Amino acid sequence: MTRRVALIAVPLLLAAACSSGHSSPDVSGTPLVGTFRLTAGACTAAGATGTYFRMIDPGGTIEKGKFFGNPDSACEDKSFTVENAGTDGGLVTGTYQPDPAQPFDATGNARAAQIARPSSFTAIKFAISTNAKDPQTKHAAPAPQISVKDGTLSGQITAWSAAWNNQYFNQGSPKPDGSRPGLTSPLTGTYDAKTHAFVITWASQVVGGPFNGFTGYWQLQGTFAPTQ
Amino acid sequence: MTAAAEAEHVRGSDPRSAGADRATPPRGRSAVLIALAVLGIALAAAPLAFDMFTRAPKGATMLADFKPFMTHSRLDGFQSDIAEIDAAVHEVDAKATPRLASAPGATPRAYDDLSQQWPTINSDMTDLLDQVQANLGNYHAVAALPSFRLFPWFFVIPGLLIFGVALLALLRPSARRRARVALAVLGVGLILAPVVFQMFTRAPQGGRMMSAFRTIETTQNVTKIQGYFSTMAGGQGAIRLQIEPALQQSGLTASQVAQQFPAVTALDRDWVHILNDMTPMIGAMSDNVTSYQAIAALPPFPLFPWFFAIPGLIVVALAWAARPRTATPEEAS
Repeated sequence: MTRRVALIAVPLLLAAACSSGHSSPDVSGTPLVGTFRLTAGACTAAGATGTYFRMIDPGGTIEKGKFFGNPDSACEDKSFTVENAGTDGGLVTGTYQPDPAQPFDATGNARAAQIARPSSFTAIKFAISTNAKDPQTKHAAPAPQISVKDGTLSGQITAWSAAWNNQYFNQGSPKPDGSRPGLTSPLTGTYDAKTHAFVITWASQVVGGPFNGFTGYWQLQGTFAPTQ
Repeated sequence: MTAAAEAEHVRGSDPRSAGADRATPPRGRSAVLIALAVLGIALAAAPLAFDMFTRAPKGATMLADFKPFMTHSRLDGFQSDIAEIDAAVHEVDAKATPRLASAPGATPRAYDDLSQQWPTINSDMTDLLDQVQANLGNYHAVAALPSFRLFPWFFVIPGLLIFGVALLALLRPSARRRARVALAVLGVGLILAPVVFQMFTRAPQGGRMMSAFRTIETTQNVTKIQGYFSTMAGGQGAIRLQIEPALQQSGLTASQVAQQFPAVTALDRDWVHILNDMTPMIGAMSDNVTSYQAIAALPPFPLFPWFFAIPGLIVVALAWAARPRTATPEEAS
């Protein structure tokens, strides 16, 4: 009986996955559902550790840049913009942490603060959110999913959206249409099952708008707290 | 129906043909109607041949995206943004750099980049804005035309009507008189459409705008402007966060800095507004590179009124040619 149910259920689940309109997410292994609590970014002589963001100029590479220098960065190397955990403590998988009803203030500072505290970027604050409907592309985006297999993390972070200066930039991987343009790279990382320490990285090329062709590189670091 | 029978049918159905009028040789009239049907199909198919259903909506998108920026006040604002940065750079170069020359680190690298690149950035951005400003009238002329999204239908609908009426006239000779009138009306409509929409003046203006934007709406140019933006943002940040504090460390109070460096102070005050203003324009330029290319791939704008007028003239001429021939006295007797 169990085998028969499995024979029916597996094709149905596969069909449901294929009909979702997204490319198959890079999820394998055990799903980690809960909060990826962020360790604040810290500037170092070599750049930064912890949670940070960098932006690569069009034509650059993730390894060598050329990188966009954020004058408001606290680091010596202005290509690193360090991040601090927001009101939720970090990224929550399996659900959304959306933009607030008023996503910007009067001067274009973004206000989303659940995942990370808004950071200044060339004098205007940018903020992160995950939304069921991506505010830039207007496409549906699944809630973030991250899994672990043999200490390696994988998953999709399609809904990751940066807001800045009254504009939105999808920074997910894959993109809401399932593509991975340019330097966009899959979410990957490491996870220590004993300490729950994690490091997640991915890159996502901006498609459209004033930063079209630039690529955001994200590192989230911290401790995973599973949903009880 | 044989040709003779058709001729007889026409004579019988057209009251004017009963006496003085006699139908032109039916074969000749049929040929004219076939030509009209072919012309109708060609007109209806033109948008497909020119890929207008894909390209024309992109033109509408481009015009809509640029609309917020295409005003004198907005473009003047961009010019004053550039002038403000120019004044601040000159002020730092002339007064702050010499004062800080002996300080450790002198001026930050991000500012040096701006200072070195500024003459090029200033020249290129001013040229770009001048070009856009010079084409403001052309833009508004094109924007005043009916929506680009409708353009393909301006060919398809009259084309199908001409084809349909010509076909009807071919199949039902009794309807030929009314069909000729309808065709003539359609032809006149095609001739008048570009006149009514002022296309003979607006389309060439659109052509001039497209020519001016040829060097602006390119991936290479947009990438260059993105790079300029990056340099300006980095340089302004260096002025705000490094040079001004360094001036204060050199012995000036905040109010003395404000007094002695008015252009720097003004740039600090207005920088967020400049970002609010400038980045959406760069975004619109970037987002419309493919839209521009799509429109540029259409036939040249100045030809568009003639795409209506010439078929219109041909339709009127052919409708006239398809009229029943007036019989000579000899033929009548």
